[in-house]
Amino acid sequence: MREADANPDDTYYDFAALLDAVRGIRWPARSIVRGGIPGGHTSRVWGSSAEFSEYRPYRQGDDLRRIDWKLFARSDRAYIRLSNDRSILPTMIVVDASASMAFPISTNGKWRLAAQLGVALAAVARNGGDPVGLALAGGRKPELIAPRTRRSVIQEIIRAISATQPAGSAPLAPSISIAAQSVGRLVIVSDFLGDATEILSVASRFVVAGREVHAVHVVAAEEIDPPREASMVTDPEAPGTRRALIGETRDGYVAAFAAWRDGLAHEFSDAGLAYSAAIVGDETPEHLIRRLTAPRGAAAIA
Amino acid sequence: MTFLAPAFLFASVAVAAGIVALHFIVTRQPRSSILPTARFVPDTPATTIAPARRPSDLLVMTLRVLTVLAAGTGMAKPVLRPARQPNARVVLVDVSRSVRDSTAIRDSARAVYRKGDGVVVFDSGARVVAGSVSDSIAHFSPTSRRGNLSGAIIAALRAGSGLRDRADSLELVIISPFAKEEMDAATDSIRRLWRGRARLVHAGASNSTAREIADGKITLSAEPDDPLGITAALGPRAEVRAFIDRAPLRGASSRDTVPGSTVAEGVLIDWPRTARPRGAVSRSAVDTIGGIKAGDARVIAPFERRWIFPVDSLRGADVIARWSDGEPAAIERANEPGCSRSVAIPVASAGDLAIRHDFVKLFAVISRPCAQITAVIPADPAAVARLVGNGGRASRETFQPPTDTRSTLASWLLALAIATAIAEIFARRGAREPNAAVIKSSPRAAQAA
Repeated sequence: MREADANPDDTYYDFAALLDAVRGIRWPARSIVRGGIPGGHTSRVWGSSAEFSEYRPYRQGDDLRRIDWKLFARSDRAYIRLSNDRSILPTMIVVDASASMAFPISTNGKWRLAAQLGVALAAVARNGGDPVGLALAGGRKPELIAPRTRRSVIQEIIRAISATQPAGSAPLAPSISIAAQSVGRLVIVSDFLGDATEILSVASRFVVAGREVHAVHVVAAEEIDPPREASMVTDPEAPGTRRALIGETRDGYVAAFAAWRDGLAHEFSDAGLAYSAAIVGDETPEHLIRRLTAPRGAAAIA
Repeated sequence: MTFLAPAFLFASVAVAAGIVALHFIVTRQPRSSILPTARFVPDTPATTIAPARRPSDLLVMTLRVLTVLAAGTGMAKPVLRPARQPNARVVLVDVSRSVRDSTAIRDSARAVYRKGDGVVVFDSGARVVAGSVSDSIAHFSPTSRRGNLSGAIIAALRAGSGLRDRADSLELVIISPFAKEEMDAATDSIRRLWRGRARLVHAGASNSTAREIADGKITLSAEPDDPLGITAALGPRAEVRAFIDRAPLRGASSRDTVPGSTVAEGVLIDWPRTARPRGAVSRSAVDTIGGIKAGDARVIAPFERRWIFPVDSLRGADVIARWSDGEPAAIERANEPGCSRSVAIPVASAGDLAIRHDFVKLFAVISRPCAQITAVIPADPAAVARLVGNGGRASRETFQPPTDTRSTLASWLLALAIATAIAEIFARRGAREPNAAVIKSSPRAAQAA
């Protein structure tokens, strides 16, 4: 199968199919964005674009060039013509490249799904005219691609992801802090098995600052329902953690992991993050992208 | 080879089989795998048990089995049994005072003894001759102690138990003059415990006993009112010439005051009425005792004890009467060809002690012939004939196996068990180290994977 092939050149074909599938998807901002470079998202700045909104009486200090002279001629009153401004939303995709993402070992399912989501979301954002960047964090070799609007940025992102093998156990939060300095939308694609508390703390600060933060929780089906065969399981990020996954401990594990995921979802949602679970093999990447990029109301309905 | 406690051997074999079985059951951890969410698994130790085709730790298993088998065999006390011969003898050799001709005893013993026989010498006690029996026979000599055939036969039975594994049948041979004093009421019943015929070898007897016993007379040197005079008159006819001195002269020997013909071959009895008997000393405190025993005679009456025989005075003497608490009341010392006795038994003038039947009997015992004379009085021929018994030789099955057999192999086997146990410790350590290395390397291998 082509997906199982590890050759980086071949991965373009995989991503090409996905990019083609998400070509028509739009990713509107969840709220009014700050003003700035004109773009596709509604800005909170009243500008002078062609999209009329309302008139306001002229006040001293207003620019005389913004007075609607035709209305002044008809009503002998000076009004300022107001219109909604539209702005871009710089987007940063942070993909977790720690060792825990290389699971299951036979398929690398979590990492492949995270990579597909990262590329596809970047492409959707780029198609909407937003600058998009990528941060590969948590691994042994962090990589950062600053948000760009140019078309080649998607290829850069694909190249960076394809050249990365998940390994190591570095914390994610510091990289997020650095990568999301001047972006309006932050997407964290991770299994959150490392420093989830610190990530939540950092992300909460961004939310409070009026930015949009998405948390995509990647989970393997084998993690939710591990094989029933008795085994000694080892945490790849903490080799000292060796536990016996047998009969009664398996039941305890399933319950504990489910409780942890529920708690994480609640904490992230309460903090204002857009939390989404992405279970490997449960949905197609295209469907996941549509769910992640849907407007707030539509996502709730979905 | 046989085992004195085979249960230990069976138990050790069972334990060894268990050890081997356990080595075929391998206890190990389940297979390892990677799970990023391993932290959510409850931390409990876990091992799985699985049968194996080949035993684990072959060297350790071998050492463990060796340890258990060596310890079990050692505790089972293995004994190497010699080859059995058709028959053997237990030879009882009399060396008591009844023996007058020791050369005859030695010659008889030498003639009877064969290699592999058991030899028991006896007088008042009995002992099995060990080591070089032929050399021991050459040194047999009579003692001054009274012979005891009953005790000797019991010793022969014990010797027979020791010989039961070396012979199919056993013969009892008794070399003795068979004096009357050597036999007692239990001799017949004890003899019947040897379930076979005995061969009696008459040897070592004396020929000069009849004349001395024939002309007995008791001469009492006492005051007219001495109650002992009445006792002597009431007693049976004396079997020996006896002179009883009731008032020895201070500083002079009793023997000096009596006619030489009276005591030369008879009994001189020093039985003072109030003075200190020969060899006795004054007691620190005069006390009263309730009885006395001499031979078959027993007298129950209050006696005032004023004298005591110290240990030194008993050396070379025989006690012929004892107080009820075991203390000597009268002793006899041999003076070839007669003997002298010292009696510390007070005879009260008041009361009926002197005429009581039991005291008369006691008097007869005290005035009986000397031991060296009674020792050679031959036993009743009928009693001797009963010693022969019936049937043939005693079968080996009629003797109980000895319970005091010692195993020389046991200590060596236990030492071997200790040595293998120590070796097992080192072998176990050596076997663990490679496994530890594998365990240490496995997380890295898993991480690399």
